[in-house]
Amino acid sequence: MSDRITLSLRAPLDRALNGDVITAERFAVLGASEISALSLWDGRTKIALGDVFSVSGERAQTVVLEGDLTKLNGVGTMMTAGALEIHGSVGKATGARMQGGTITVQGSAGDDGGSAMSGGSLVITGDAGDRAGGALQGASKGMTGGHIIVKGTAGREAGARMRRGTLCCAGAGPGAGLGMIAGNIIVAGPIGEGVGAGNKRGSIVALGGVRVPPTYAYACTYHPPHLSLMLGFLRERFALAVDDAHLHGLYRRYSGDLAEIGEGELVEWQSA
Amino acid sequence: MEIRGVQIDDTFAEAFGMRGVRIIITAKNQKWARESANKLTGFATSVIACKCEAAVERELAPAETPDGRPGISVLLFTMDSDSLPKRVIERIGQTVLTCPTTACFDGLPDSPDRLAIGKPLRTFGDGFQASKMIDGQRYWRVPVMEGEFLIQETFGKAKGVGGGNFLILAESADAALDAAEAAVDAMAEMPGVILPFPGGIVRSGSKVGAKKYKGMIASSNDAFAPTLRVITQTALPEGVNSVLEIVLDGLDFHSIAAAMQAGIDAACRAGVRSITAGNYGGKLGPYHFHLRKIMSGNLDDAPRADSSGAAAPA
Repeated sequence: MSDRITLSLRAPLDRALNGDVITAERFAVLGASEISALSLWDGRTKIALGDVFSVSGERAQTVVLEGDLTKLNGVGTMMTAGALEIHGSVGKATGARMQGGTITVQGSAGDDGGSAMSGGSLVITGDAGDRAGGALQGASKGMTGGHIIVKGTAGREAGARMRRGTLCCAGAGPGAGLGMIAGNIIVAGPIGEGVGAGNKRGSIVALGGVRVPPTYAYACTYHPPHLSLMLGFLRERFALAVDDAHLHGLYRRYSGDLAEIGEGELVEWQSA
Repeated sequence: MEIRGVQIDDTFAEAFGMRGVRIIITAKNQKWARESANKLTGFATSVIACKCEAAVERELAPAETPDGRPGISVLLFTMDSDSLPKRVIERIGQTVLTCPTTACFDGLPDSPDRLAIGKPLRTFGDGFQASKMIDGQRYWRVPVMEGEFLIQETFGKAKGVGGGNFLILAESADAALDAAEAAVDAMAEMPGVILPFPGGIVRSGSKVGAKKYKGMIASSNDAFAPTLRVITQTALPEGVNSVLEIVLDGLDFHSIAAAMQAGIDAACRAGVRSITAGNYGGKLGPYHFHLRKIMSGNLDDAPRADSSGAAAPA
C-alpha cells in the first residue's frame, strides 16, 4: 500500500482513448500489476493501461495522472470515492456521471466535464469545454448533485438541464443554464448570450454582470440571505475568489424564464 | 466549607434530564438578533407553566455564525422529546420569522438526532418557498414582505440537564440581589448553559405541590421564606432576611457544574451568610450537583446519561 498511485503517460497520445476505467475507488483495491492490466478503449479495441501509462504505487485512495491527457476521455466516469488528481489538461467527459470523491484537473478539461454527475466535486483550475455539468446526449437531466468548480471559463451551455448541485465558473459561454431544472450556477465574470433560457427553478448568480434575457422580469433589489452562506461555503471549501462585498451585497433579482414556469431566478450583484 | 466567610452547605442541587436545541439567530446587526432572541425566549422560565425553558446562551461574533453576520445563540429545553419540535417551531415561527433581517440556523450540527424545524415552517411561503442544499444541509428560502427568510431544515437535538440551582442566603434583600447579580455576571456567556429566569434570578423558589391547595403543581418554598420563619419549619439560619435562587439548564452536566462553580464563587461576598441548593432528597432527579465537590473542582462522579437520556444516580 502506498500513499498514492501515479500514472505517468509513456508517450504523447496520437488518438483519443477512453479512460473511463480510471477511477480512484477502483484503483484503491488493486496492486500495480492489476492496474496495469486494466483496459482502455481505443476505438473498438482494447489496450492495456500499462502500455499507455507507467504505474507506480498501489492500493491508495489518491490517484495522480501526469502528462498531456487532452486526448484521454472519460476519466473518472461514475467515480464514487477517493481523489483523482490530473496534472495537466484532460479530454472530454471527465467525471461524467461521477457520484462521489474529488477530481482535480490542474489544467483545462474538454467538453461534457461532469455531465450528469450526481455527487462529489470536479475542480478544474483552467477552462472547461462545452456542456460542463450538462446532460448526457438525449437525457432529460444534467447534473443532479455535487460541485463543479471551473476557475477559468466554462464553454457553451454550462449547466444545461441541471437538476441539482452547483456549478461555479469565472466566466461562462453562451447558453449557460439552458433548460435548467433547478440547482445553482454562479458566474464570477462575464456570461454569454442566452443565459437561463428555459430555466424552470434554477438559480443563476451573476457576480460580474449579465445581459438579462427578455424572458426574465425584474423583481426587486435585495440581500439574498442564502448567498452569504453559499458563497462563504464555496470560498472556504474551494478557495474561490469571492469578495466579502459579494457575501452580503445587494443583488438585483430577475424571475424567469417566464416562457417556462418562471420559478427560476437570475440574481445580479449590484453593490456591497 | 467557607469561601470568603460564606458558608457552603454540604448539600446538592438535584436536576433532571431534558431535551434541548441550540438555535442560532443571525441578523443585520446585534440589535436585531437580540430583539428576536428576546422574543423567542420570552415567557420561557419554567416548564411548570411555560411548556419550555429558554434563554440566550451568548452573543456570537460574525466569524462564529454560519452566514458571517452578528448572531445570538439560544438554548431551549423541554421535558420530553415529543413536545420539543412543537415548542421550537411555534417560537421560531412567531419570533424569528417575523423579525426584520434575521436568519435561523441549527447550533448542534453534530447531533445525530434531527428535528424537522425549517421543513414545516417553510409552508409559510405558500408554495413560493425554495430550498438550497449547501454543504450537505438543506435550507429553506421563505419569501416575506421584507425579502426572504432563511432557515435550516433540521436542527440537532441534545439530551440536556435542567434544574441545576443554588440559593443565596443573605442578610438583606439588597445583599442577596447584589450577590445574585454578581453570580449571573460570572456565568454570563458560559457555553452550554442558560439561566432561564428574569435576569437569571428567581425570587420565588418553589417546592413540589402545596400544603394547602391540592391541585398546585408547585408552591412557595416556605422553608426559605423569611416572613414565615416562625410559623413554618424554616431552613433559614439566624441573620438571613432574603434568599434568591439561580436556576440553570444546560447541554450537559459539566457545563452546568462549571457555571455553578463560577456563579457561587462570585456570590460569596459581603452580606451573604450561606449558599445552599434545592433537592428532593435525591429521589427524583438523576443529576446531583454537590456544592462542596463543585467548589473543590471535584466532578469525577458526574453521572453519565444512558441511551435513554436518563442518568445513573450519583
